[in-house]
Amino acid sequence: MSDFAGMEELLQDFLLESTELLSDVDNKLVELEKRPNDRALLNDIFRGFHTIKGGAGFLNVAPMVTICHRTENLFDKLRNSELGLSSELMDVILDATGAVRDMFTVLSQGLPPPNPDPAMLAALDAALAGNLAAVKAPTAAPAVPVVQAPPPAPAPAINSNEPNWEALHQAVTGSAQPAAASVPPAPAPVDMAAAATMVVESAPAELIPAAPVAVVPAAPKPQNKPAPSTGGPISGQENTIRIDTVRLDQVLNLSGEIGLTKNRLTTLRTEILQGNMETNTLRSLDEAISQLDLLVSDLQNAVMKTRMQPIGRLFQKYPRLARDLARQLGKEVELVITGEETELDKTMIEDLNDPLVHLVRNAVDHGVESADERIAMGKKPQSLIELTAEQVGDHIVIEITDDGKGMNPEVLRRKAIAKGLIDAETANSLDEKQCLQLIFLPGFSTKDQISSVSGRGVGMDVVRTNIQKLNGRIDINSIQGEGTRISISLPLTLAILPVLVVRACNQPFAVPLAMVREIIPIDTTAIQEVSGRPTIVVRDEILPLKTLSGLLNWQPTQKPNFGVLMQSAEKSFILAVDSFVGRDDVVIKPLQNIRPKGVAGATLSGDGSVVLVLDMEDLLAGQMDSSANGSIMLRNADNFSY
Amino acid sequence: MADKNLRFLVVDDFSTMRRIVRNLLKELGFTNVDEAEDGQVALHKLKTQHFDFIVSDWNMPNMTGIELLRAVRADAQLKHLPFLMITAEAKRENIIEAATAGASGYIVKPFTAATLEEKMNKIFQNLNK
Repeated sequence: MSDFAGMEELLQDFLLESTELLSDVDNKLVELEKRPNDRALLNDIFRGFHTIKGGAGFLNVAPMVTICHRTENLFDKLRNSELGLSSELMDVILDATGAVRDMFTVLSQGLPPPNPDPAMLAALDAALAGNLAAVKAPTAAPAVPVVQAPPPAPAPAINSNEPNWEALHQAVTGSAQPAAASVPPAPAPVDMAAAATMVVESAPAELIPAAPVAVVPAAPKPQNKPAPSTGGPISGQENTIRIDTVRLDQVLNLSGEIGLTKNRLTTLRTEILQGNMETNTLRSLDEAISQLDLLVSDLQNAVMKTRMQPIGRLFQKYPRLARDLARQLGKEVELVITGEETELDKTMIEDLNDPLVHLVRNAVDHGVESADERIAMGKKPQSLIELTAEQVGDHIVIEITDDGKGMNPEVLRRKAIAKGLIDAETANSLDEKQCLQLIFLPGFSTKDQISSVSGRGVGMDVVRTNIQKLNGRIDINSIQGEGTRISISLPLTLAILPVLVVRACNQPFAVPLAMVREIIPIDTTAIQEVSGRPTIVVRDEILPLKTLSGLLNWQPTQKPNFGVLMQSAEKSFILAVDSFVGRDDVVIKPLQNIRPKGVAGATLSGDGSVVLVLDMEDLLAGQMDSSANGSIMLRNADNFSY
Repeated sequence: MADKNLRFLVVDDFSTMRRIVRNLLKELGFTNVDEAEDGQVALHKLKTQHFDFIVSDWNMPNMTGIELLRAVRADAQLKHLPFLMITAEAKRENIIEAATAGASGYIVKPFTAATLEEKMNKIFQNLNK
């Protein structure tokens, strides 16, 4: 049971909005380090804390009010030039921001956040008093500063200032006010249960000043009325979305139009069923169906757009991340972001966070050198990391580029062998580009010194797995001494999958179009056996040939005529199929309860027949395990005169 | 008692806060509420639509609550409108500033529906004199 029962929705809104606001504040803080006297920045940051404080006050989150109130006052002094910004002060401010963020996390689990760290409050108070140095060391007796702290919430001022307002109002407006006792009686001491109930009844306010520290109950209170089940507990992924009303209206309009077209079709059906087969009727039918076709694809697009969110929501967290890490490592790093307005499916944005955090950390930790190393190499001391996003065709490409030392393929190769991740023979057959891919192997880590930041070798393989789950691709380019670029390519959405429909064994199958590089006719004379496996040379590239029937372990019914050049994570191969149906945009329906190997799901084709959508990675993985099934099958298919 | 059909304009840059104020007004029976995200938007709405009551935050980007208040009081069409200023601060100088600019009332965050009602009743009393 949450302590915010009855207020979940409001709390969620508050968290959603405040988290964005705080990220914005974070970035502005990073900016502020560069331009400490920028008044507009100081104003914005002031307003950020002020706004969060206001919301937190209504939600009765006293600890958050306490921190924001002090930080806000600090910025008030900064913007009025009563205080100067020092790096010590910056650390205090960043600590406070971090503490507020932690409270958001606690709140998102429906729990009341704990009281703020007294040492941090003491530092804030000292900073406010202008003698930060005095409290630099963690205070031994934190109780003292807390006691002498200014009132945490502004609320007590309501009472003390109330009569002033009335008097002033009379003085200014000249209205003779009856001398009403307008001061509400000071809140009587309330016990904890009452405080908790007040929260439930969404009547916060005047209880805060009464017991600023006691608002957080020691143990969750049992409550009489059950929390409305608004979609399970509030935690982890956001399950609400904010949509531009223009986009929502578009969906509404289109569904209306589809309704109209449906009516038209119904009328036409009646006519046709009654035997009216005139040319005009049939032409109208044709028109209505073409219109429906257009409308449905428009509707699909419009619905998809409601799920699209700017990737900036994600990106805005990273400058602070990079800054903190760089500071910790004693490096000078600037993170430059472009393309934050690029839009991506909401669920993908959420799933991208972990991989991107990892890549940013990697770039700061492993990618770029320390200032000294850089100077020695003739580079400028400050390193640059660029994070970009852009839409290329129907894909989103996210790139993270550093100007660091780059990767040495040889070192990677040796490392992989030393760690026993691959055998020497395989390793030596890898070209430079393939060597770079070795970092995606589970258990690979190039740093000899394991730092607290990264380098536990759990990262890159997880990053790749996560990207692949999103039907994306990840690619590395690196030039020694110049830097590394990691590119992630993602489909716009997961809801609709563009596929190539092929036929084998008299049945249609769909393969993801993202993996298809090209289609070639199979010339049997061009097939060569390399270590017992059939291959075809395409533009100097030796590619293994695998029949679809072989991969499926089915009896081939005819000789494959076409090859689909497929690109999976790091290997390419040719998938031999009987024939093609064409390309299509399909909606995958997952198969419930059964999960045949290599099948991602099923979809309906235009003629109403069921088409299996293949999961090529899965299909290939199975093939690896059972000692090259595909090629065995291919040799079994000798009757096709290979 | 005040007419429950009064049309309110709630001005705040923080949508959660607008929602909170809207909910509190609803608790008091006032359901005819529109919102604006800063002074500029508010002023535009005030000039193009009819409102009976303004509840505005002080600290907002583009145009602050106090600037909005001054603009409203300077406009012949709008100057009679009741204007309740919301703020997180209860500093003396703020109160004086709001009062001199012509605020009808002043309320400090956080507040309850009861506090809001009391403030509003006082404003209505003054209006009826």
